Amino acid sequence: MAKEKEKILGMDGDKFRMFMGKYGIGVILVLMMVFISFMEPSFRSASNMINVATQVSINAMIAYGMCLAITTEGIDLSVGAQLALVSCILGQLISNKGWSIPLAILAAVLVSTLWGVINGLLISKFNMFPFVVTLSTQLIIRGLAQLISGGQAIPITDAAFKRIYSTKIAAVPFPILVLILVTVLMYLLLHWTKLGRYIFAVGDNMNAAIASGVSVIKTKTAVYAISGFLAGIAGVIFTAKTASAQSNIGIGYETDAVAACVLGGTSFAGGVATIPGVLMGIFIIGFIYNGMNLIGIDSYYQSMTKGAVIIGAVLLDMVMNKKTN
Amino acid sequence: MKRKMLSVLLCAALVVVMATGCGGSDKKEEGGKSSKGETSEVVGDVNGDGKIMCGYISKNIVDPFHAPINDYAKKTFDALKKDGTIDDWTGILDGETDANKQIDRADECIAKNCDYVIILPAEASSSDAAVTKLTDAGIKVIVVNSKTDSTDDVAMAYVGPDDVKAGEMLAQWVIDNVSDGGKYAHCQGVIGNSAQIQRGEGIENLMKDNDKFESVGDFPCEWQADKAANVATDMMNQYGDDLKAIICDNDDMSSAAQKACNDAGRSDIVCVGVDGNENPLQMVKDGEMGATVLQDGPAQVEGAIDLIKKALKGEETEKEVMIPFVLITKDNVDEYLK
Amino acid sequence: MTYKADEQEKYVLECHGISKAFGGTQALCNVELLVRQGEVHALLGENGAGKSTLMKCIIGLHQQDKGEILFEGKPYSAKGPTEALNAGISMIHQELNPEPHLTIAESIFLKRENTKGILLDKRAQNKRADEILKKFNFPYNSKTLMKELTLAQMQMVEIIKAVSYNSRLIIMDEPTSSLDSEETAHLFSIIRELKEKGVAIIYISHRMEEIFEICDYVSVFRDGTYVGARSMEAADRDGLISMMVGRKVENVFPKVECEIGEVVFKVEGLSGKGFDDISFEVRKGEILGISGLVGSGRSETMRAIFGMDPITEGKLYLEGREIKIKKPGQAIKQGICMVNEDRKNFGLALHRSIRENIALPTLPIMQKGMLLNKKKEEKNCLNMGNLLKLKAASIEHDAFSLSGGNQQKTVLAKWLLANPKVLILDEPTRGVDVGAKSEIHNLMCQFAAKGLAVIMISSELPEIMGMSDRILVYHEGKIRGEVLREEILSGETDQEKILAKAFGGM
Repeated sequence: MAKEKEKILGMDGDKFRMFMGKYGIGVILVLMMVFISFMEPSFRSASNMINVATQVSINAMIAYGMCLAITTEGIDLSVGAQLALVSCILGQLISNKGWSIPLAILAAVLVSTLWGVINGLLISKFNMFPFVVTLSTQLIIRGLAQLISGGQAIPITDAAFKRIYSTKIAAVPFPILVLILVTVLMYLLLHWTKLGRYIFAVGDNMNAAIASGVSVIKTKTAVYAISGFLAGIAGVIFTAKTASAQSNIGIGYETDAVAACVLGGTSFAGGVATIPGVLMGIFIIGFIYNGMNLIGIDSYYQSMTKGAVIIGAVLLDMVMNKKTN
Repeated sequence: MKRKMLSVLLCAALVVVMATGCGGSDKKEEGGKSSKGETSEVVGDVNGDGKIMCGYISKNIVDPFHAPINDYAKKTFDALKKDGTIDDWTGILDGETDANKQIDRADECIAKNCDYVIILPAEASSSDAAVTKLTDAGIKVIVVNSKTDSTDDVAMAYVGPDDVKAGEMLAQWVIDNVSDGGKYAHCQGVIGNSAQIQRGEGIENLMKDNDKFESVGDFPCEWQADKAANVATDMMNQYGDDLKAIICDNDDMSSAAQKACNDAGRSDIVCVGVDGNENPLQMVKDGEMGATVLQDGPAQVEGAIDLIKKALKGEETEKEVMIPFVLITKDNVDEYLK
Repeated sequence: MTYKADEQEKYVLECHGISKAFGGTQALCNVELLVRQGEVHALLGENGAGKSTLMKCIIGLHQQDKGEILFEGKPYSAKGPTEALNAGISMIHQELNPEPHLTIAESIFLKRENTKGILLDKRAQNKRADEILKKFNFPYNSKTLMKELTLAQMQMVEIIKAVSYNSRLIIMDEPTSSLDSEETAHLFSIIRELKEKGVAIIYISHRMEEIFEICDYVSVFRDGTYVGARSMEAADRDGLISMMVGRKVENVFPKVECEIGEVVFKVEGLSGKGFDDISFEVRKGEILGISGLVGSGRSETMRAIFGMDPITEGKLYLEGREIKIKKPGQAIKQGICMVNEDRKNFGLALHRSIRENIALPTLPIMQKGMLLNKKKEEKNCLNMGNLLKLKAASIEHDAFSLSGGNQQKTVLAKWLLANPKVLILDEPTRGVDVGAKSEIHNLMCQFAAKGLAVIMISSELPEIMGMSDRILVYHEGKIRGEVLREEILSGETDQEKILAKAFGGM
């Protein structure tokens, strides 16, 4: 086993393993990009890259929130319903009540954040399972959305609102700017603030975190509030994209978010996650959809491919990152 | 420090891939432009790149109504590609019954320089962004099966059924077959779908003014058979013999409702729905259910592809093509049941 | 206890030339081990010396790279613990991992259940289990759930399970680490009984006293190599320690007498779950030892003071003023810190870096605006690591990668950075090897010399007696005695007297 001279790509074996453990997902991403552009040259066009980045911005918001929840050994299943609620609130306020756009957005995001706080308090204060809590609040939130919209689609014809999705600043679509901003903020939050450290500590070993003076209630509530807030932002982008408020949107969006987290090395055992990793996971998911459609792979094989890529990537990650024990 | 170096290297690799990628495609675009002048005589080449490219954005690839439509589209487009009528098509793009995803698929059609795109919208209003996005990019769009808000204004054509008419056919069947009238229940599809809205409207058109019938309620069943079956059993419990009919927005639901009624010994209850899926057709054939209203999905796509073929020949195309519904009873079921 | 060479020269287990490497680290290098029938054979060595790895090779959790194992004279190799168990070798792990919702009978007969057709025959199984339990005078019946048992009783169930498999060799890894003196005595009597029956026992422990009491033979390991074996009769403590560490450890308890100042922390009439009407005070520079049996209320009191458990009655005073503590955060803010006895559950976030673990309680003072001041954090952590002689490749490595002793130092570093006035240490040297143990003792003296009030709970009487300025003895939730250092130095109070108090005598 202890072959000193084992060399892979000019690095010795241990270093290579460390490199792949940390950046394996990035390598997979690059390989994927090379492969798809080889199969379908139009994939590489600047406009397609911008398309993908714009498209993934919705899943990215949800995935970042999900990543925090998973890091604290939880999960937030309510995000899909939060999209619907935000959408319906926006529809009602803008189209039917004539609110100004910023005010309506503020109100909608506030409501989704509040639901995040409720999730967090139920989970931390009453020590309920995150799965159960968010599974239930998800139903309540979607019900609320249906109530607000009356089950009907509310078209939002306001051109200014639609521009949230379509407007470009220096050739960069606005959702990409939001994506960049949120990514930077999340990176700072998770890796450069007290709260980030508390999130890791609570996720890795809750008892030890408590014994170190960390407030689990505050930390977890903050986590789900952020998840709710980001779902709110995602909801705004979604609604601007479809220019319509509807209560049946966002069903199953948790799945892609969880998949992006897992690809990005977020551990379901808690305490392990990185924002760059999740971002790469988000893009891998985006490229799977985009690339396969461009290549012209039959849709029937797409979800199979997605599942296989996730298992393969996580497996590879585990092999590369093999720890004793 | 080494880790940081590695991460920088990795980022650099990413940038290189993207940059070379962009560079390559720029050249290609230029090539496309230069060839534009030479090949502009290709009839029906909307974007003038000398190639005829078609896109097909499905509503979804899972439900039994859309499966034969997608199959038909695949067969027909593959044949057109083979005989040289078109250069290529995108394959079936999965809309996942989600306007958001359909908009993303529209992006991909644009990226692939499509000339014509057929889209089966997931939602009347929110899928509209996909249609306008395509038309803004200069692509000719044929909307199939249900209209989006601006279909009439921007799309090349609409090919679809008249869902209000279908609703009326459902109500008419019930009126004709429950002579004494009575109570009926209505199982709805996903609230907000245009099919749900318009079929409901059609049912309402006839039932509203009919004194013999009384609705016991509209039940949101999200197109799902098991939910409709639950409605059937619940309503039988509640209203007993007074319940005479269950009208469903699709026939997955009506067949399930009918089965629940039959199992409860109430085969007298008239259940009817729209679509003409295999299972309900079989039930009609076996005499377990009176009728179902067939929406000829493949015929709609056929109509849409015919329009593309016409355009490629330089012929005039219609703005709207209505594909009629067919009432299926024991008499004609064999024609449609494969 | 005596080793009779003539009758028992037959080896049950022979390991020859065993080597095992993990990646680049040589965990075992050409190791030997000979165990005779009916003998208690101690394995001695600092953490990481290779004892556990060798045991894992024997029970089939690892496969050795080189070397050969003979069991009862025949070549032996197991692919896993189950195979080893069937062959006649069982291991009682240090960290017991019983299924809490199984009954004793189910636990004993796990994976070889009595069946009647495809159904379990619970009645027959319980009956069989009860018979075995009776043989061992076990105080519970077979239907008791594992979770209702104490650690010592769970361990007993494991031993009973091993015997029920007709094991001829039982490996015990730190069996007494969570037992109190009474339970330890009971365990030893069981070990002697097993010995009588000809069962060989490999006994891994850091507690020298126990090894001298129960073992016949000892093999010493150091850094993955085999140093040598001695008959216990021929061995002496200092000699063994120097074999283990490769150097002479002069003084086991390096107590430094230092000036004791005014009262820092005072407890008055404190009651809660497991303790009642506790009053004591601790002074600047003082090391206050807390002795007593496990479950006597000593850890419970300290947990309550630190805010981990509720206080029902009583008052706390810090530097003369009354303080209220409801959660650990408040205790830390006041300057009271606690090293928990259960390091894995309450001490460290094992998958996070050493740096993050050390900085966790003190993050609020290492901020620059909204963000963390990572430079300051790194400096603080490095300083503290150096001060405590923390041995790690880098503070960016996972806490998981550290040895027990260095993990404990990480916990200590975390609290020292919080600049406490009162430091509570619950079993600070549990699962820590001899070298690190004396370093931790040294550190305690250093803290005290700097004016810290130290409260130390320990189940090891020599440690308590060697380190404390004053000892409080708990029995059944109350303080039953106080012993001053002078009394110990003068020989007026000895181990037996403290033990007697802990058992409720006067």
